[in-house]
Amino acid sequence: MLALVSGVTVLGLRATRGWIGTVGQGVHVIAFLRDEMEPDQATQLTDLLRRRPGVASVRLVEPAEALVRLRDAARLSPAAGSWLNDLEPGYFPRSIEVALAASADLPQRAAELSRRLRGVAGVAGVDAMTDGVARLGAWVRFGQRLGWAVVLAAGIAALSFLVGTVLRGREARRRQAKVLVILGETAASIRLPGNIALAAAGLLGALAAMLVLRLAWPALLTTVEGALGIAPTPVGFFLASWESAVGLLAAPMLGWVLGYVSTPVSGWGDA
Amino acid sequence: MIWLEGVSYLRAGSPALADVTLGVSFGEMVVVHGLTGSGKSSLLAVAAGARAPDSGAVWIAEHNIVGLQASSLPYVRRNIGYLPSEPLLIPDETVLENIMLALAVRGEPIDSAEADARETLAMVADSAWENRLARSLSTGQQRLVALARALVGPPSLVVVDEPAAGMGGDDREGIVRALVWARERGCAVLCATSDPGFSQMLVDAGGRRVHLESGRIAGAPSIGLVPAPVHFAGQSEREIAESSQAIRSSARRSSGEESS
Repeated sequence: MLALVSGVTVLGLRATRGWIGTVGQGVHVIAFLRDEMEPDQATQLTDLLRRRPGVASVRLVEPAEALVRLRDAARLSPAAGSWLNDLEPGYFPRSIEVALAASADLPQRAAELSRRLRGVAGVAGVDAMTDGVARLGAWVRFGQRLGWAVVLAAGIAALSFLVGTVLRGREARRRQAKVLVILGETAASIRLPGNIALAAAGLLGALAAMLVLRLAWPALLTTVEGALGIAPTPVGFFLASWESAVGLLAAPMLGWVLGYVSTPVSGWGDA
Repeated sequence: MIWLEGVSYLRAGSPALADVTLGVSFGEMVVVHGLTGSGKSSLLAVAAGARAPDSGAVWIAEHNIVGLQASSLPYVRRNIGYLPSEPLLIPDETVLENIMLALAVRGEPIDSAEADARETLAMVADSAWENRLARSLSTGQQRLVALARALVGPPSLVVVDEPAAGMGGDDREGIVRALVWARERGCAVLCATSDPGFSQMLVDAGGRRVHLESGRIAGAPSIGLVPAPVHFAGQSEREIAESSQAIRSSARRSSGEESS
């Protein structure tokens, strides 16, 4: 169970980062440029914004491209009229579209950038797309908190089950160990069967968890992405080799330690 | 042999044993007789290496086990057949398995261990019990099985605490026969009892009785010289005899002081 929880945590964090990257690829700030701004000034402003920390991408959109986008979007809408065909590029200003790197404070950074751009000469107006960015940030924060809460609950449940298993029967094992101490068995030999049994259980559990994750994780990921309306992310559905190796080593080691703890052996003077 | 020298032991802050000196040689049976609370169980627990005395020395085959590292004690305990006051058995194992456990710890092969265990069970108790689980036995039956486990082998030293507690006539005679069997095979047998009748039965079978009162030996202590404790090493036979005589005299003076 612990191996399963650990694996889900690692893969879940990886998927979440991928989702954040995917949903955060939209444009967060659009700065509309005045007609009198020279093209090289617009290019300089674009380059400057690219170098700003926290900026994922910057694009200078010419009027012609803006018109094409509008017409493409209108084709998808049954309510669009033929009047779009009469529009000319001159109706549209040049604009700079800025996409910020995804993070929980994205709305705040978008607002800050918008405030600065409004003060730049040659910028006619700035659309911070606040509502959408704020919603995105809220969903990301909620998703992360929910994820950690689920992981924490599952981890506590798994640990409680593990501790309960170790404690159950401890008194009987203590009594058995007492008999063996009287007969002259060493502490290491008394604990050895428990160590081996729990180490083997740990190893089997880790293998079973890896198998369950390999079989169930892709389907689970697809289901969640579909429910959230997120495009499938190119996230590796399974653990890396070193992660699997760590898990396959850590689980039996934990089992060995629990075997040691689960068999109390009295020492000299207490047999 | 076993030699306890000047052993004192505190239990819950109160002295359970006070300056006890006692020895049991190979082929000898010593009966420690005392009332409840006289310190019998504490004495036997110290002798069996199950309790560390607060002072004094416990020599078992020329080794003072009080000075041994904890990791070495199991190898000493393997040569001691110990029946504590509570007959600790493993409840979910059969009677035969419980007895064989003592031989398994000593490294004896399974086949011979099984045969030895059956023979000892037949001598001490009832062969028909061998496949019964230990938890299905009565308290008295468990005590007999624990006694069989202590005697199987037999080990060099047998330490049994109240082996006949709650037993009837036939069982008590069987226990006496079993302890004599061990003695005749060269074991040093140390037995504690509060039952005067059982104590007398052991004396009649050749045992030597000492009385324990309030943690002290009331009778003359036994001094076995074969083999001599290590601290006598290097002395001539005359010097050893003089040392032994001095100890005997001191013990007689102590007894004389206590009786007066």
